[in-house]
Amino acid sequence: MRDAAGDPAALELLRMQRSRLADRMRPPWWYLTGSAIAWAVLFAGPFILQYLLHGVPRWPSLIGTAAALCLLRLLPWGLARATGLAVRLRNFRYRGRLALIAMIVVWFAASSTETFLIRHGLLVAAIVVAALAVAAQMALLQARLRGIRQELRAGGEAA
Amino acid sequence: MTARPDPFIHPITRLSICGLLAAGADWVEFAALRDAAGISDSVLSKQSVALEDAGYVEVRKGAVGRRPRTWFRLTAQGRQALEDHLAWLAQLEEAVSAGSPDVTQVTANPVNRRTRPRTVPSPD
Repeated sequence: MRDAAGDPAALELLRMQRSRLADRMRPPWWYLTGSAIAWAVLFAGPFILQYLLHGVPRWPSLIGTAAALCLLRLLPWGLARATGLAVRLRNFRYRGRLALIAMIVVWFAASSTETFLIRHGLLVAAIVVAALAVAAQMALLQARLRGIRQELRAGGEAA
Repeated sequence: MTARPDPFIHPITRLSICGLLAAGADWVEFAALRDAAGISDSVLSKQSVALEDAGYVEVRKGAVGRRPRTWFRLTAQGRQALEDHLAWLAQLEEAVSAGSPDVTQVTANPVNRRTRPRTVPSPD
């Protein structure tokens, strides 16, 4: 077996291997598509409540929201199996965590704004907000994955 | 020199495995670890058993359909040993690049490649 002390490039080799590991953290197409669909369903909630289900019980909308949330929970599980890397948020204290917090903020802010605009009859503006919110969530998701890749390259806490 | 080498993870293959497991992912699957480390299935199997016996690595076995899946995670003991060892290697690298006479002191304290881990699991 090769000896690390006899090889001055041992740390360089480790850096290269970590970079190779980080490259595996590229999301497959279904992960991004599934995330976009789930966020689109979540941001469609205010429209469904206001227009489609007027005077009708709200449970179909709640089922849609619950299904979208389940999908958002299942997608990282599928990503872990596809990439071979199970990543938990507690390991990443920098960009990954910031991006997730930003996603939650965007979710609540966009939903509130949509509801406000719909109640004031500004349907087109509400649709634009919903579309922008989905785009923002996807950009933040990519930023989160990029942050995870950077952490993997840097070697996490052991670096 | 304050950092100490760990003879058990000193061989480059074990160092690679531990270093990759400490990179940030909570669990790493067998194929991902093998490909990133650039080693064969048999080498990874053998070294992971040794690391597991030493208490440095935790192994979880499962299956997706009929395909077996093995996941690895670094234990707290393994993480501590790796951090100490990486610190020692970094000091060694600095000493080598600076051409310090301290290098002879470091390398004159060779690590026995066959040395058993600090905590040897009981045969029972």
